[in-house]
Amino acid sequence: MEKVLSRFMELSTDPYASVAKWKEDTGKKIIGCFPMRIPEEIVHASGMLPVVMWRGNEAVTLGHSYVHNFNCGLTRSFIDDVMKEKLDFMDGMIFYRSCLQAEEVPSTIELNAPPRHFLYLYLPPLYPGAVFRDFLIQQLKRMKENIEGWAGQEITKDALNNSIEVYNKNRSLLKRLYELRKRKPGTIRAREMLAIVHSSMLMDKEEHSKLLESLLPELENREAIADGKVRVILTGGLCQTPHTAILDLIEEAGMVVVDDDIYIGSRYFANEVTPGDDPLGSLADRYMKKIPPDPTMGDWKTLWSDYMVDKVRENNAKGMVSLLVKFCPPHLCYYPDIKRTFDREGIPEVMIEVEHEVVSVEQTRTRLQAFVEVIKGGA
Amino acid sequence: MVQEFKLNRLETTRLMGPMVDKHWKELRTAKERGEKVAWCSGVPFIFAYAMDMKCHFMAGYSAYCAGRKAGEHVLEIADSTGELPDTCSYHRMHMGMAEAVKRGIPVREDVVLPIPDLMIAGRVCPEMSHYAEALYRKFGIQVAGIEVTTPYQESDYAVLEPYLERQFKEILIPTMEEICGKPFDYDHMREILRVLKKTATIRNDCLEYFKKVPSPWTLWDYGVSLAPVIYLMGKPETIPYYEKLRAELEERSKNNIPAILPEEKHRVFWDGWLPWGFLGHFSRKLTSYGANPISGRYPWEMFPRPDLIDPEGDPVHTFVKALYTGTMLGNNMAKPGLSLIDKIIPEYQIDGLIFFTAKSCRIWKSQLTILEKMERKYGIPGLCLEADMADPKMFSDAQIDTRLNAFFEVLEARKEKRRWV
Repeated sequence: MEKVLSRFMELSTDPYASVAKWKEDTGKKIIGCFPMRIPEEIVHASGMLPVVMWRGNEAVTLGHSYVHNFNCGLTRSFIDDVMKEKLDFMDGMIFYRSCLQAEEVPSTIELNAPPRHFLYLYLPPLYPGAVFRDFLIQQLKRMKENIEGWAGQEITKDALNNSIEVYNKNRSLLKRLYELRKRKPGTIRAREMLAIVHSSMLMDKEEHSKLLESLLPELENREAIADGKVRVILTGGLCQTPHTAILDLIEEAGMVVVDDDIYIGSRYFANEVTPGDDPLGSLADRYMKKIPPDPTMGDWKTLWSDYMVDKVRENNAKGMVSLLVKFCPPHLCYYPDIKRTFDREGIPEVMIEVEHEVVSVEQTRTRLQAFVEVIKGGA
Repeated sequence: MVQEFKLNRLETTRLMGPMVDKHWKELRTAKERGEKVAWCSGVPFIFAYAMDMKCHFMAGYSAYCAGRKAGEHVLEIADSTGELPDTCSYHRMHMGMAEAVKRGIPVREDVVLPIPDLMIAGRVCPEMSHYAEALYRKFGIQVAGIEVTTPYQESDYAVLEPYLERQFKEILIPTMEEICGKPFDYDHMREILRVLKKTATIRNDCLEYFKKVPSPWTLWDYGVSLAPVIYLMGKPETIPYYEKLRAELEERSKNNIPAILPEEKHRVFWDGWLPWGFLGHFSRKLTSYGANPISGRYPWEMFPRPDLIDPEGDPVHTFVKALYTGTMLGNNMAKPGLSLIDKIIPEYQIDGLIFFTAKSCRIWKSQLTILEKMERKYGIPGLCLEADMADPKMFSDAQIDTRLNAFFEVLEARKEKRRWV
């Protein structure tokens, strides 16, 4: 068990070598997909490896010649990695605009260090109207055609349905893992959970599923360490990896994470795809799902704040920790509503602002300790 | 001795203030007259105008409010009601205004906005949908969601035009009909487009005068004159305004009268937003160096191809065509923007590039890349000014002065090396 976990940890904290090695071992191409909405199944069905682009593990230096330092960590770090030629093993990159800053990445890369294959997709918001789904299908067809060209082979319906099944299986295994954590909080540390989900974004799905299948029964027997801990849920980190140091601080302050609403967490594996006669249509259906609410998708009627209140209550959690990525426009715009809603509902919530380079450990520790005191005081 | 410069203001631009004030007053008082009101981000406001609905235009209002020196107060209200400081300052301004109206917080009368009956979420940038979402949460206002995607590259217009046209026809027009209780007025839309076409055509004549050395006007003058080709579109008085402006520019041009006295020393390109909250402030700074901002991507976005507008045909189709093929949308994106700037530099004999970067708005893509490529190609210096379009807390004036000082020193030294000469 520890061996599998440490493999996930290694992959999550330093993906470069492992992803490049996979390419070397298999001779297959690597395609980077911008988080959060690109249907990886289409890439997978072509025999190439889709990986979700990640926030790097070093401070941004060269990248600041290409992107302002008041962009978010993911956009700055990804551009920095490309300019430092750390991602040369990626054969192709697929982008779309999830926010204004995300829209800056593709052109900066294409104009300065174009990858061998490049695709910019127009993915629509979740606005009401048939036109949006039709346009999405059109874009998915465009994506499929491009990928076929890159891979040099047609993506058949069977291949796509097979990839859908592979992804569904991985999603259901991750879901089982989350259910285990809900049943036995403290069994899996927050940083371990992050590494498990993150590594699913970075490695061959079938291999990841095999590792999960071996890990799950062993985790069932692991001792839980949640006695007396304050149950909380995590939110934020919309498209990028939270700092593991902060996850540790949450636990050290006396909390246990029972569930989350983060991208490199439950948001990644939410909603399965129904295979069938029209696999692109099925992928579009998953894309159009409004739950979990996604603040980058423009859906004004499904309130993210209400969803999180429900999540806290369903999990019998005592509070919520919001990880707000510095300069993240969707989260910045929504946060006032979240704060007001949680105040109104009488649920304690604390917001920790996180930046790519800096984690002010002691300040964060103090705030988290105070948060625990508030919850305990009110209990 | 240090040479002193001053702006030689145009007479015509003084007429713009009352026209703009009238527009916002009509909006402010619309509810008193029992009229319906919409708020709109992006350009779909023309559909509200066609239905005689008073409509606010998000960026136009923010520019107006900031230009009226009320922006800071409204932003403070937003901050005090929970908005976070790194958020788009236009978003915060609207949240501040909405909270002020909701809670009865006093705001200067001339910038108050009526709470709308309809919110048109014209999603040019993804953040634009957030303020529709926030308004829905605060007031339960009906929303019409329209995605006005900015094109990544010119070759994508063919895909994006039918997408937007369908949205207008299948979503926005039926919503307008429902709200207003009458069929959509295509004839009125055509009438608006007729006026817009004429105004923008004369405006294009005016833009030609920027090519003259010395230029008879500045980008600041043009900034003041933008409303007729955007949110004042369709108002008959916009045509005589631009006719008068053209005549004044012709007169100056004939007599070789520059916009900066005693002489235009430097011709610069101004990228990004115009700093609406601080237009006078920045114009004084640049003028003190004898620098005239001649051109920019943002002002070049306002219906630059009126020849493509065909008001006699399908008004929706031609409007969409004017947005994409007509290059109104997309200059903010890196690839179309780079092509535009590459064309402008030699055509307008630009000596240096100032890229204004708004900290709370990242809509101007890959500015650092474009700056580097153009500096290299034309041998002219470039400067990135990090500030904001509306929030004074986002920048330090002293730092800006230091950087401008160094920039103009380099510009002076490199003048002989300009490669467009």
